[in-house]
Parts: sequence; structure tokens; C-alpha cells
Amino acid sequence: MSLPQPVIEFLNNNAATLGVPQVAVDLDLFKSGALDSFALVDFVTVLEEHCGIRVPDAEVVPANFRTIEDIDRYVSSRRLEL
Amino acid sequence: MNSFITATGSYLPARVVSNEELAQKLGLTPEQIFKSSGIRQRHWAAPGEITSALGCAALRKAGVSTEDIDYLILGTMTSDRFIPGSAPAVQAALNLREVPCLDIRQACCNTLYGLQLANALVTSGLATNVAVCLAEVQSTFLTVSPQAGTTSMLFGDGAAALIVSSEGEVGALEIVDVHLATDGKYVDDLGIRAPGSQFNGRAEPQDYVPRMNGQSVILQASRRMLSACQTVLDRNSLSIDNVSWIVPHQANANLLTQLARGLKLKDVSRVVSVIENTGNTSSASMAIALDTLWRSGTLRPGDYVLMPGFAAGFTWGAALCRVW
Repeated sequence: MSLPQPVIEFLNNNAATLGVPQVAVDLDLFKSGALDSFALVDFVTVLEEHCGIRVPDAEVVPANFRTIEDIDRYVSSRRLEL
Repeated sequence: MNSFITATGSYLPARVVSNEELAQKLGLTPEQIFKSSGIRQRHWAAPGEITSALGCAALRKAGVSTEDIDYLILGTMTSDRFIPGSAPAVQAALNLREVPCLDIRQACCNTLYGLQLANALVTSGLATNVAVCLAEVQSTFLTVSPQAGTTSMLFGDGAAALIVSSEGEVGALEIVDVHLATDGKYVDDLGIRAPGSQFNGRAEPQDYVPRMNGQSVILQASRRMLSACQTVLDRNSLSIDNVSWIVPHQANANLLTQLARGLKLKDVSRVVSVIENTGNTSSASMAIALDTLWRSGTLRPGDYVLMPGFAAGFTWGAALCRVW
């Protein structure tokens, strides 16, 4: 897992705000209510700031960010393209 | 040559439909509607009150002599009839001269497209006073049932008019820049399919009513409006701190909040919002908000006004104006 701590903290804090106590790496963030569409927009900004990647607008789709494992895979793929 | 918005007007039908009146029919509570949209009420046209009639009312409110208008652009998704569009109906009803009349159908970005076209017509010398009229009667297209609750709760009827002229006096809004962009692969995430040649003869009832992938709209609108603002600011060597007022398309109050956060606005009161009382009036929403700002008396010479929008297509963009 290569996601920086501020990224994980954002997810945990957002989930706690929405009443989801624990974010496991394979938890479906949308189905569990840990992340909604508006929060995802903010989350992508956090990812860009802390992972040194640029997320193209067309790639801001739930499939890329459904679980922490998905997010980690996506970030790694974006880094390879840099 | 420059172009200026020299007059504005808006019109909302008399009938107010509150969340309390609508919620139960949509399988929602008034609080659910307000929490997810920021809307408390919307105006719906009376039976027989058609789109061109709303457009005429808004143009009258702009207070310009109909004799002076030499081009009419009408933006709507809900034209009086399929062909011709509603601009000829407005021309006839207001007894305008026999000027060019053009319908545009870029949905919630109609104000931006109308301004870009009007700016081009005026600065090229093809027209002197362009009336950009934005009008919607969406209520008759809505399915008022729980199956369409989260879509039907959003939309209201209304109209606005902007007069774009070659000469502007003190207080006019100079059109500094308009940026527009499109990505057509999202065609089914927002819009109405039929009538249309792709579905003729095999359209289903649901093809005639609005369809919306809310998640896709929120994700793309949040990002695209922000990037459009940045594009316009960058190419005019400005920062968001130079902008006095943000007048976005009034889609959803939560989206306006997201936009303010993305723009890192220090003062969110600079975002003009009318959605609480109007709902989403699509083509007309941005211009109704601009008319509200114009009439508030708070605009000062030198103020920059930034207007981002997002619409079916998807298409999106932003206009930048400066008070003369």
C-alpha cells in the first residue's frame, strides 16, 4: 500500500463524519456510505496534492475509487504514466 | 470592438410549488429535497403558459425598445413546438422587426452559448443589439411520481433576457471572454432522448422524460466548471481574488458549495444563488441569477463577474464580464 497518510486520513475522517466507523482496504466506499459524489471530488483533489499525480476529468469515475485497493492501483497506474 | 450586456430582465410564473406540496407525490420528504438540493420551492407555469410567453415576459422586463433589437437568440430545451423553434414565436408576439431569429439548445449552458454568439455577432458588426432570451417550461415534461423523485424535485420554470449591444454606458457588463468545451461521450448521462431520429419508431415512454446519472453529473460538473473558471482566469491574467461575483448555473446548492470550495473562495457570499426559491431553471438559471445581481445594486465599475456552467452533452464553460 503506497497511499500517503493524509489520503488515508481524509477517507477515515470523511467516513466517520458519515457514520462509517472503520474503512477496510476492500470496503466498497460508495455502497458503505463512506464516500459520496461530492466527497469524491474533494478526495481526488487530496490525491492529486499528496500523490503527485494529475487525475484527468474523464477518469473521475467511481470505478477508479471504489475501494482503497482500487485507489492504490489507480494511483500506481497514473504514476507509471508520468 | 467590444460587446456589452446593457440590460437584463427575468420572469417567474406566478404559481409557487413548495417542497411541502411536491414531496409526498415524489416519495420524498420536504427536508430530503432541501438537504440534497438546497431547493425550498420552484415556480411552475400555469396551463397554457408556454415557453415563448415566458421569454416575452422576460424581454419586456429588460425594458428595451423592441425596435432596437436586430437579432434574437432564444435558448431553451422546452420549445413551444418541435419545428420551428420558439424564437419566431417571440418575434411575432413582441412585434419585433423581421430580424434573424435563432433557437439554441445547449440546455443549461444556453446562457453561455448565447453570450458567445451574441458577442461574436456584435463584435463582427453583424448585429448591434442582440436579445439573448432564455426560457423554460420544464414542469410539463416532469414525471411527478416516486420513480422520478430525485429528478423531478429539481426543476422549475422561468425565463431571463440579456441584451448584448455594441455600446455600453457606465454600469454595463463588458463581455471579456467566453470559454466553452464539450465531451459528447456522456450523451446518455443527462438529457431527453426523444423525439429524435435515433429513437423514432422505437422510443419507450421513459425516452420522452429527463434522464440523469446524478453521480456522473456531480463528478463531471464539479471538475469541469472549476477547470473552465481557471482557463478563463488564466488567459486573462487574473486570479479568483480579482473576481467580485461568481454567477454559476443554478443546478444544485450543494454543487455551488462544492464550486466555492474548489475555487478556494474566502467569501462564499460572492457566489450568487437563487436556487432556493427558483429550483433549477436550466437554460434560464444563470441569467436569472445575473438579473438578480444586476438589480441588487451591488455591482461596481471594475467588478469582474465569473459565470461557470455545465449542461447535457456534456458541455461546460465559463464567461467573464467586467462592469464598465
